[in-house]
Amino acid sequence: MIAFINVNKTYANGTTALNNINVSIEQGEFVAVIGLSGAGKSTLIRCINRMHDITDGQLLVDGVDVAKLKGKQIRRFRRRIGMIFQSFNLVTRATVINNVLVSLVPDLPMWRRVTGIFSSNQKLKALEALEKVGILDKAFIRVDQLSGGQQQRVALARTLAQSPDIILADEPIASLDPVTAKLVMDDFKRINQEMNISVIMNIHHVEIALEYADRIIGIRQGEVVFDGRAAEVTKDVLSYIYGGKMEEAAASAEERAFHVR
Amino acid sequence: MYDKMFPPKQIVLPSGKVVYQKRTRLPLIAVIVIAAVYYSVELTDFNLHKLVTRIGEFFVLIDAMIPPDWSSWHKMSTALLDTLQMSLLGSLLGSLLAVPFAIAASSNIVRSRIVVALFKTILSLLRTLPTLVTALIATFVFGLGPMAGVVAITLFTISYVGKLLYEQIENADMGPFEAMESLGMTRIQAFRNAVVPQVLPGYLSTSIFCFEGNVRYASILGLVGAGGIGLLIKEDIGWRDYPGVGMIILALVVTVYLIETVSEHIRKKLI
Amino acid sequence: MMTTVERQLLTSPRKIWYRLAITFIAIILIGWSVGAVSFKDVNQSGFQIAFNIVKGIVHPDLDLLFNVSKQSVPYLLVQTLAIAFLGTIVGGILSVPLAFLAASNVVPRPVAWLTRLLLIVIRTIPELVYGLMFIKVATGPLAGVLTIGIVSIGMLAKLYVDAIEELDVKVLESMTSIGCTTFEKIRYGIMPQLLSVFLSVTIYRFDMNMREASILGLVGAGGIGAPLIFAMNSYKWDQAGSILIGLVILILLIELVSNKMRARLVKG
Repeated sequence: MIAFINVNKTYANGTTALNNINVSIEQGEFVAVIGLSGAGKSTLIRCINRMHDITDGQLLVDGVDVAKLKGKQIRRFRRRIGMIFQSFNLVTRATVINNVLVSLVPDLPMWRRVTGIFSSNQKLKALEALEKVGILDKAFIRVDQLSGGQQQRVALARTLAQSPDIILADEPIASLDPVTAKLVMDDFKRINQEMNISVIMNIHHVEIALEYADRIIGIRQGEVVFDGRAAEVTKDVLSYIYGGKMEEAAASAEERAFHVR
Repeated sequence: MYDKMFPPKQIVLPSGKVVYQKRTRLPLIAVIVIAAVYYSVELTDFNLHKLVTRIGEFFVLIDAMIPPDWSSWHKMSTALLDTLQMSLLGSLLGSLLAVPFAIAASSNIVRSRIVVALFKTILSLLRTLPTLVTALIATFVFGLGPMAGVVAITLFTISYVGKLLYEQIENADMGPFEAMESLGMTRIQAFRNAVVPQVLPGYLSTSIFCFEGNVRYASILGLVGAGGIGLLIKEDIGWRDYPGVGMIILALVVTVYLIETVSEHIRKKLI
Repeated sequence: MMTTVERQLLTSPRKIWYRLAITFIAIILIGWSVGAVSFKDVNQSGFQIAFNIVKGIVHPDLDLLFNVSKQSVPYLLVQTLAIAFLGTIVGGILSVPLAFLAASNVVPRPVAWLTRLLLIVIRTIPELVYGLMFIKVATGPLAGVLTIGIVSIGMLAKLYVDAIEELDVKVLESMTSIGCTTFEKIRYGIMPQLLSVFLSVTIYRFDMNMREASILGLVGAGGIGAPLIFAMNSYKWDQAGSILIGLVILILLIELVSNKMRARLVKG
């Protein structure tokens, strides 16, 4: 369970990114966070695995007070939380399986970490993760030979290989074309349901968010302005979240997708 | 072949699916590299102990070059100008002569496969010969002096610019060429109007880049008597006039740096 | 009243003076450079020698080309290859720290700038000048190895720097989220990116070093250069011919292999 209790976040330059957030997310939920660019969606997600520090309040993940963790504890804490990025963030010059194996590295004995020699058990684990996202046949190919959708699946497999309880996804489909985006979203949904992993996702495409997520959190200027089931989201709710800039939001989403392609 | 000797490793997943991983070539590569290093060390009398104890001499030499002998400036400047003159003329002649060679070696312009293969071979053979060897041969034919240097630089420039130019011609968009041929132009006219505009900026840029490199090569040609500043370097080192060598090196560094800067500026404008 | 076309014509940039100046400078430079041409030393013996060289290449000294003594072409070629190979390795190893010191995204700007200046100086000094200096440190092929090593640094370090500055750092963000330490980030995020580029550049330089190593003999730094020059200076064109043939074949072979290897590194 993830619990935000009166969480505030102010950047060093004085801008308030999160303002008095009170949210709790149960294990196994599929949550989509929507809102304008700059509303604080990314910050919210990145606080959960301590990529950002909170300024005030309390953030509990399965009873652990995230703000109190230090050095090695943070790294061990992050092992249980997977993260997916808009730009995949893979080592494109390495093979698919080597990218997946990276997520096992922190648990290895020293000599394996230095030499990069993995046991067959570890390789098996990586291959299983690849099988779950349907790109087992690409295991020994270099990542730069894959399409965007396939690369995002490699990233997903990398996350699965660390057997996380929670997956955080920061605009995972913003760089993909509509058809591939659906396929990747299907993967997320399947992982969420079959493995009972919580998924918390920032997303620009409102229709896709409503289609796949159980629960929607709307953020506006650092505050949670909507929190409810996807079915409850009406046109009025959306226009409130987007501050009447619905058209603009849709346009910017389209534009981003266009640029990347 | 390697895969036949060491068949791929079979990995069975719990779900029953089977994946084949090719055996890594790393051990083979490692063995080859280690053997190569071992025999190279043997053949070159490479000796780390000697290296560590004697390497100081190198820095003694460098120390002796500082400060440079400013008074040798006059004697040196004429030799430096000779070097520049040689490389400029060699680059100019070479890049002009490279054009017919490159065209004859382009498979999309010349129809005869034999001609194309012949000219490609000539260009790669020319490129193989070190400039200094060409210069040495040239001194026997054209006598000692800058003329031999010009010939050597010209030949190298033909091979270098020629190769890059025929690659550009072969990669050029042939659509306009076909269109112009269909308008009733001859192949030469079509080449002039369709291909030349595409490759001209690249050609000029390569030529200027080659000139930049040629200045560096030209400065050593004097060692085999082909004119320029190289002879002076050899003499100064022979007479242990290290401050004089320091002055030459300083002048070379400044000159090459200036030429590099100007050439980079021009090449950026071209492309 | 002016038409729009006329107005447009007037606003087009006036580059005529700029172009005139460039043309003028170019013509002066060309005119000046032609001064290097002189045929006064070309005489009957020149043509005779040219003919002899061609004859030497067509009728090489086959014994020299195929026996295996320490003066034979194969032995000397292998020694040249060894000098180029070891020199490339020495240069490659020394270039790595220099490249990191010259990368503006790794060290402070002044440090990067100073290292770059040093690299320019290293790159500008002609190879044979290093050769002449290193034969005071060590004799024979060892001096050759050192020379090839230092001339390689100039180019290798420069290309390594480009690779370092183009590093994709987004990978590091995802590795942070996995819980990796700084060491693990370097080992699994940065090294795989750099290794293949470094290797490819180094193989390319090895190919070039083959050519450089073949002339080192001129200053007594080992390899096939010295016998080639002796043969020529004593007008033994059949020997020179056999050396040249061996050299050309070896260099072409190395070029072929190096191109193949680099293509595989790029494609994966």
